[in-house]
Amino acid sequence: MSINGGYFMKVLHVDLSECKTHVEEVDEEFALKYIGGRGWGARLVWEHLKEDTDPLSPENIIVIAPGPLSGLYLPSSGKTSICSISPTTGIYGDSNIGGMFGVELRQAGFDAMVIKGKAPELSYLWIDDDDIQLKNAEKYAGMGSIETEHQLREDIGDETVKVASIGPAGEKMVKMACITADWGRNAGRTGMGAILGSKNLKAIAIRGTRDLPVADLKRLTRISDKAYKKLSRHNLFEFWQRQGLMSVIDYANTAGIIPTHNFKDTHFEEADKINGDVMELEYKIGDTACFGCPMACGNVNLVKDGKYAGTVIEGPEYETAAMFGSNVGVSDFSAILRANYLCDEYGIDTITAGSLISVMIEAYEKDLVTLEDLDGMALNWGDDESIMEMIRKIAFREGVGDTLAEGAYGVIERWPQLAPIINHVKGLDQSAYDARVAITMALGYATSDIGAHHARAWPVAKELEMGCNWDLNEKADLVIYHQTVRPLFDMLGVCRLPWIELGFDENTYAEFFSAAVGIEFTLEELLKRSNDVYNLTRAINIRLGLTRDDDRPPERVFNDPIKTGPHAGKVLDRDEFREILDIYYQRRGWDMDGIPTDETLKASGLEDAIEYMEPKRKAE
Amino acid sequence: MRKKLTVIPERCSGCRVCELVCAISHAGVNNPKKANIRVISLYPHPVIKMPVVCDQCKKPKCRDACPTDAIVVTDGVVTILEDRCISCHACVSACPIGAIFVHEDIETPFKCDMCGGNPKCVAACPKKAILYVPEHTLGQAHRLASALQYANMQEVEYFEHGEKKKLRYAEIETGGTRGDSR
Repeated sequence: MSINGGYFMKVLHVDLSECKTHVEEVDEEFALKYIGGRGWGARLVWEHLKEDTDPLSPENIIVIAPGPLSGLYLPSSGKTSICSISPTTGIYGDSNIGGMFGVELRQAGFDAMVIKGKAPELSYLWIDDDDIQLKNAEKYAGMGSIETEHQLREDIGDETVKVASIGPAGEKMVKMACITADWGRNAGRTGMGAILGSKNLKAIAIRGTRDLPVADLKRLTRISDKAYKKLSRHNLFEFWQRQGLMSVIDYANTAGIIPTHNFKDTHFEEADKINGDVMELEYKIGDTACFGCPMACGNVNLVKDGKYAGTVIEGPEYETAAMFGSNVGVSDFSAILRANYLCDEYGIDTITAGSLISVMIEAYEKDLVTLEDLDGMALNWGDDESIMEMIRKIAFREGVGDTLAEGAYGVIERWPQLAPIINHVKGLDQSAYDARVAITMALGYATSDIGAHHARAWPVAKELEMGCNWDLNEKADLVIYHQTVRPLFDMLGVCRLPWIELGFDENTYAEFFSAAVGIEFTLEELLKRSNDVYNLTRAINIRLGLTRDDDRPPERVFNDPIKTGPHAGKVLDRDEFREILDIYYQRRGWDMDGIPTDETLKASGLEDAIEYMEPKRKAE
Repeated sequence: MRKKLTVIPERCSGCRVCELVCAISHAGVNNPKKANIRVISLYPHPVIKMPVVCDQCKKPKCRDACPTDAIVVTDGVVTILEDRCISCHACVSACPIGAIFVHEDIETPFKCDMCGGNPKCVAACPKKAILYVPEHTLGQAHRLASALQYANMQEVEYFEHGEKKKLRYAEIETGGTRGDSR
């Protein structure tokens, strides 16, 4: 059996220090074992890994990897993973980005791109099919992401060129800096923008014209025609196009999981001022979609009057609206749009920024920091103007912003007294779903390979739906199932939302993949590979010093009962969490210190990881 | 009855599914850069997304520009005859909306053929932003907008099932000329 499509079998390597590129031909075993996207990214990071590499040094590599399904005719095929060692957490990090950027990289004839070194001056990479040039970008120094994208297109003279860029925050290596493409699609988490900044790479512009290889295009077309039809007939399809992820605000508030006042609470009285209806009726001016996506979850919004008039932005989606709405006590939707715009333009992650700003508001409220610590600017719940100012200070590393720019660990280092109120795992701030209401969500955050992000597991809805009193073994299995299925989408280079939100059958993705590569794969076979990659990222993290002690949810979930709403009084029990973590390790085939056993590594085809795990095991 | 393709930019999400289905059915490859329709997305100044596709002009400039008479209109479809075409791209420059395309893999320029009367892009568009309508209905949307914008409309408020409603109407003999409406 050999691969007949799906891949170009080519990885573009760019060495910025040497100003050299070369194209690596990958072999079939590598391609099919790690599938693509985050799988390829994690393997390339592993192969290049040294324990003492500073994430922001030229030695660290960053992998931009769409998947074998990216750009193909199938629903929502516009996803790309960006993988590296994260400056936020010091361990493996990845973040995925939608839009069109990854598809264009594929059309240029590459399945993935690896960047290392550091350019001698601020530069951008211009990939015009196989013509690749490193160009001076001093002109764009300090420019916002959206403006950079706009200017670069104008300077290249082609409005259809796809651009990924960093804003001033990335240039200043702010540890929550993101990579922005297609005007506001972000690889937001784990500080990938800071890595580009450390490499003096302001932007990557791509124009690709090649056919994407597909082994059996007739079969793919047949399956996809049906898939698109099926999605369009779903009773929530049109509602989804209208509100996208903004509809989650009402769900999360009713379910009692919406972050409110730095997760002190999980119910926001004014949620109906920041929900999908408000957006749709008062602000929305258009839809946007990633490549090939019928759901068009992106909403273009415009503030038509008031102090933020003229703000136009693609977004927010749920996370941003919650983190810069209920979580900082803001009930003015136009202020959320402004915060979203500033974060996108400066190039910082809205989740981490919203989280750390809410921490500082609570710290000031409780006298844990002084007015002087805040450079003399009082911070209060719902005070949108000082929140905007904090966003700017983080992005430009000014005053207190310089500390926040270092992420959760940086803030704790300066103010150890804030540790109990920072909601993070492994240094990555928690996404906008509370974990006290569902131990599976806490376990999901605690064991996510990149830190507290919901991309790996989002079991909270299921646990709430089934009532929380069920067997811990089943709960651990649910988390592992999530952590296996969800990353598979990132490996294939597609979006998981058709599956999650419109109930699209996950088995169809095995059919898409089989049609693309010309070899039959079942969903189980693909899930096995996803699980192998989870063991690989675990091995990376163990090599980098991760221990069982790092697999713990934010302190708040054990200490501070929820105040109001349907789950008032709820808090998690430490002993129960210890118990479920034991079960989780056991079911994953990891030892009680969370290190994958030799058998597990062998079963995942990761024999080369065994020697690195041995020194980390505690003596019996 | 002759039908034409028309687009509603306000609905377009920029997903490019139209490009994909077009390229697959016409060029036989998964390559949106070989499609006979293209989505142009502009942001942030101005914000607009618009599928661009041949209007099948009745007096086509592309035909007039062609030095080898390679462009003909057959049953309302503007067609490039590949055997006569010398690929000089005069038609590409002549088209007022940029709906004739080129690609280095393909010898001659290519454009929309309306799929023989069953356009795939129309069926595939998830936002119903591309329509295939009888020719005589073109401009209907503008006519409707024009009527709605008429300046001398009266309003009456009333209650239906306890809900306040508004009815607008143009009262007999109180209006100005249509020219006043702008």
